[in-house]
Amino acid sequence: MSTTMQILIVDDEVEFASTLVERLALRGIAARSANRGLDALALVRVKIPDVVILDLKMPDMSGLEVLASIKSIDPTIEIIILTGHGSAAAGIDGMEQGAFDYMMKPVDLTALLAKIEQAYRKRKVAA
Amino acid sequence: MKRFGQMFMQFLPIDPEKSSDEVNRGESYAHFKRMLFLIMLLIAMVPVAVTAGIGYFQYRNLLLSEEHDQLLWRLDGAQKTIDAFIGGLQSLVKFVAREDRYSALLEKDKLQLLFDRLKEQYDGFVDLGIVDAKGIQRSYVGPYDLEGRDYSNQEWFHEVLIKNVYISNVYLGFRQVPHFVIAVVETIPGTNDYWILRATINADTLQKFVATIQTKATNDMFLVNSAGQLQTSSKSYGAVLSRYDKPTNEDGVALYGESRGNSIFHASSVLKNTPWTLVLTEQDYVHKEEWASFKQRLILIFAGSTLVIVLIISPLVSILTDRIRASDEKQLSLLAEAEHSNKLASIGRLAAGVAHEINNPLAIISQKSGLIEDLLGLTPPFEYSDKMRKTLTGIQDSVVRCKNITHRLLGFARRMEVTIEEIDLNQVVREVITFLENESLHNRIQVQTILEDQLPHIRSDRGQIQQILLNITNNAIDAVVYDGIIQITTVSRSESVQIKIKDNGPGMPPAVLEHIFEPFFTTKAQGKGTGLGLSITYGLIKKLGGSIVVDSTVGEGTIFTINLPYTPPHIEESNHEHNNADTDS
Repeated sequence: MSTTMQILIVDDEVEFASTLVERLALRGIAARSANRGLDALALVRVKIPDVVILDLKMPDMSGLEVLASIKSIDPTIEIIILTGHGSAAAGIDGMEQGAFDYMMKPVDLTALLAKIEQAYRKRKVAA
Repeated sequence: MKRFGQMFMQFLPIDPEKSSDEVNRGESYAHFKRMLFLIMLLIAMVPVAVTAGIGYFQYRNLLLSEEHDQLLWRLDGAQKTIDAFIGGLQSLVKFVAREDRYSALLEKDKLQLLFDRLKEQYDGFVDLGIVDAKGIQRSYVGPYDLEGRDYSNQEWFHEVLIKNVYISNVYLGFRQVPHFVIAVVETIPGTNDYWILRATINADTLQKFVATIQTKATNDMFLVNSAGQLQTSSKSYGAVLSRYDKPTNEDGVALYGESRGNSIFHASSVLKNTPWTLVLTEQDYVHKEEWASFKQRLILIFAGSTLVIVLIISPLVSILTDRIRASDEKQLSLLAEAEHSNKLASIGRLAAGVAHEINNPLAIISQKSGLIEDLLGLTPPFEYSDKMRKTLTGIQDSVVRCKNITHRLLGFARRMEVTIEEIDLNQVVREVITFLENESLHNRIQVQTILEDQLPHIRSDRGQIQQILLNITNNAIDAVVYDGIIQITTVSRSESVQIKIKDNGPGMPPAVLEHIFEPFFTTKAQGKGTGLGLSITYGLIKKLGGSIVVDSTVGEGTIFTINLPYTPPHIEESNHEHNNADTDS
């Protein structure tokens, strides 16, 4: 796993996002978190992440809107939808709009890391 | 019309929805059946009864009128005969009293001679007298001494002067023998004076004559005067001079009901130039036999029609009532089914909502405990580090259990498009049996199949049908435990293909059956099943436009009957959702 890999976690559940960031950091992965859509977009602009872990439900904007905005900033950014709300249909919609994949909360970190790795590889191939 | 409709509605059974009581409903159908029977019977019987009634009265009137005519005809004949007889007597007396005979007949010898000759002709002559214009009997022959008797103040004397010919009523007179008088008036030649020949005739003569023209033993024929006294004897009214209580002064026929069903015709005819009326009575109808046989036939036809009507109406009413009842019951069961599936849908939505809400905190628990585990790995061992690690594993396991539940509830773990393709259900059944082979062999369970040859293919989702069959068959395997038999049958029907999965397990009581498709309902030991398998199965089948029915008898086993349509209904967007291989319930 490349140490240069940049991860952005977008989730309105502060505790979830921060804990995940911490656990990724423990594994040497640079991860940031945002709890609102607009914050997420700001962070993307500051530094383009390789992979975004995106929740579908946010207080200010929907995950799919965030997804579209991120893709408009850099279409090569890979996005993994991770949601406890929302339906599979929303997940599929997300994939149709360019998400790499989608996963259901609660997710096993190992499985998430594997998915991140796949996404990262895809981005590297594309870039 | 509306009123009639309302009236009719009263006969209808109580609204089946309102009447929950099975016994009451049964009674109301029985009531409906009775009312329907009565109404139909009435509709059918009224025309029959009216026709029979009209026939009865028409035929009766016809017979009566014929009877009437016949009686009149006979009366006419009898009257003519009697007229002729009385006319004969009159003529005889008239002939004797020729105008030139007065002086000759005053001589007793000649009168005696004439009397003898008359008696030769008619035995009934009793006496003969010559009466002059002053009413004095000038000459007399007969058994009594009546010569010189003064008749001037007697009624007949005045009558004869007016009418020239006079016939008296029958009377007893001082002789105490019924007799009547014929008197004729003649003028004395060369004068304005006149004389009267008076002949007394025994009433027996009349009696005998009437008896000779009486035709039938059942008839009664007699003469009666205007005062209602019998002039000849009658079978019904007695001897001469007895009373006859019916009107006598007019011609015609009257019907007197003397006793039930035995009316008597009285035909009467006034005899001209006499004080008498001829009466003919008829006790029995001439057509009595025809009438009786007509009545018998009418009753037979009426009874026959009634029987036929009842025989037709009875089964008809039964069929109608049964049909209505069956349709009501079907409606009720459809309502109950709709209610049930609504309830299931609501429970499903609620469960999904709860699952969604739980997923987020669950994710936090999962990440937090993971973090602790991570940190624990970075910390040198301390007194409770092993215990903490175990505890964290317990938390993680519980999170996985919760995750399994919520993911199943949401019915979405694996992404998969619904793919509609042509499916041979027999093939799917064989595949599912192969999946379960190990488990069934292990439990020594026999899985039998009765698959219809050339089963029509259906268009549906293979993966989902596999899922459905796996869930139910797996439940069956759990139910029968050891040495059980599971039988899977496929059969094509008009609008669907039917799959039956039958096991000989312990079966389920109605209380369990009622809840079998509800999420979280399970009869398995705690931890062995989430109670979601059949709930998900139910949802899948509904999504594919099919139906599932469960039938179970405690001690005998359970049958799941699934009907899948040949083509699925319009698949909505939500059908992107798909279920994982959930095989417990």
